[in-house]
Amino acid sequence: MARQPVTAPFAHASEAEMSRILDFYGVRWEYEPHTFPILWNLDGNVVESFSPDFFLPDLDLYLELTTLRQKLVRKKNRKLRRLRELYPDLNIKLFYARELLALMLKYGRHALVEGMSGSSGQFALPHGMAAGSAIEQPTVGSPSGTGPAAEAIVAALAAAPTTARRRRIRTAADHERAARP
Amino acid sequence: MTHAVDLHTDVAEVLLTENEIAAKVRELGTRISSDYAGRRLTLVSVLKGSLPFMADLMRAIDIPVRIDLMEVSSYGGSSTESSGLVRILKDLSASIVDEDVLIVEDIIDTGLTLNYLIRYLRGKAPASLRICTLLDKPARRLVEINVDYVGFTIPDQFVVGYGLDYGELYRNLRYVGVLRPEVYSEATDE
Repeated sequence: MARQPVTAPFAHASEAEMSRILDFYGVRWEYEPHTFPILWNLDGNVVESFSPDFFLPDLDLYLELTTLRQKLVRKKNRKLRRLRELYPDLNIKLFYARELLALMLKYGRHALVEGMSGSSGQFALPHGMAAGSAIEQPTVGSPSGTGPAAEAIVAALAAAPTTARRRRIRTAADHERAARP
Repeated sequence: MTHAVDLHTDVAEVLLTENEIAAKVRELGTRISSDYAGRRLTLVSVLKGSLPFMADLMRAIDIPVRIDLMEVSSYGGSSTESSGLVRILKDLSASIVDEDVLIVEDIIDTGLTLNYLIRYLRGKAPASLRICTLLDKPARRLVEINVDYVGFTIPDQFVVGYGLDYGELYRNLRYVGVLRPEVYSEATDE
């Protein structure tokens, strides 16, 4: 069973969605389980490190997702190159924005496509909840948000189910406000 | 009310013509017949996309073959919200214990479905288990899988036709084509 025993507070909607995809296909995953130092100062202190988003223990594979703009992807690519130089035995795959979006299209997750791009995707759905779908109760044994903060997020999402939709609504309201005398 | 879709004009580019596909299927059939010479082979097709490939490939193989069909739920389908786990929608109709089995796929991209199927079928104790795919899209691979027979390695584009669909349409195209981005971007704008 791929369901994870611990809570995984995802930083981005794309990560939450990836966890659901991996769960669906029975692939075990760990969220940011390891941090790899990649730069040290002269005193030997770590000044830069890299924590791949997922580790898939059965496949011995790290996954890093990015929905960033090209300029920021270059920075991430540089870090990844450094990581590979320092840890040549590490098996890591970088999923770019276009690959993630193609994956979402393949799975018919149209509502997620816009919301997963850039900063609008930073508001991650708790695990066990699919954007654009009915809100599910967390399954026993799966990572999910718990406590008042998570409940507040669930309530907020119930009112506005998709990030993309929320953004559109806000934009329209902003325009309306701006047009007022 | 029927939604009008012009199948051919929705295709931006023909990636593989009908003739190219037919030639490749014959080539694969010859290789498979040679590799399994003197043995009996069970072809397992994964519905629905691999149906046309399966139908053509089995006729390009000239050793005794049995065929079987499987269907598994796909992420994002109606079953996703109910269980959150992949489900076998149609299982094998006959035992594959001690049989030589060849999984026939239309396309391999992430490898997630195939990885699941391999684990499932290995549990049924076949004598051997190999994989044949018409299309391989390695740019999207998440799970590394050793694919024994590959028809074409294709770029990371959204392809339809010869069994491959978008929204259950375009499967009946005789060629493999790249779907115009406007077709699926329209869906995201809805």
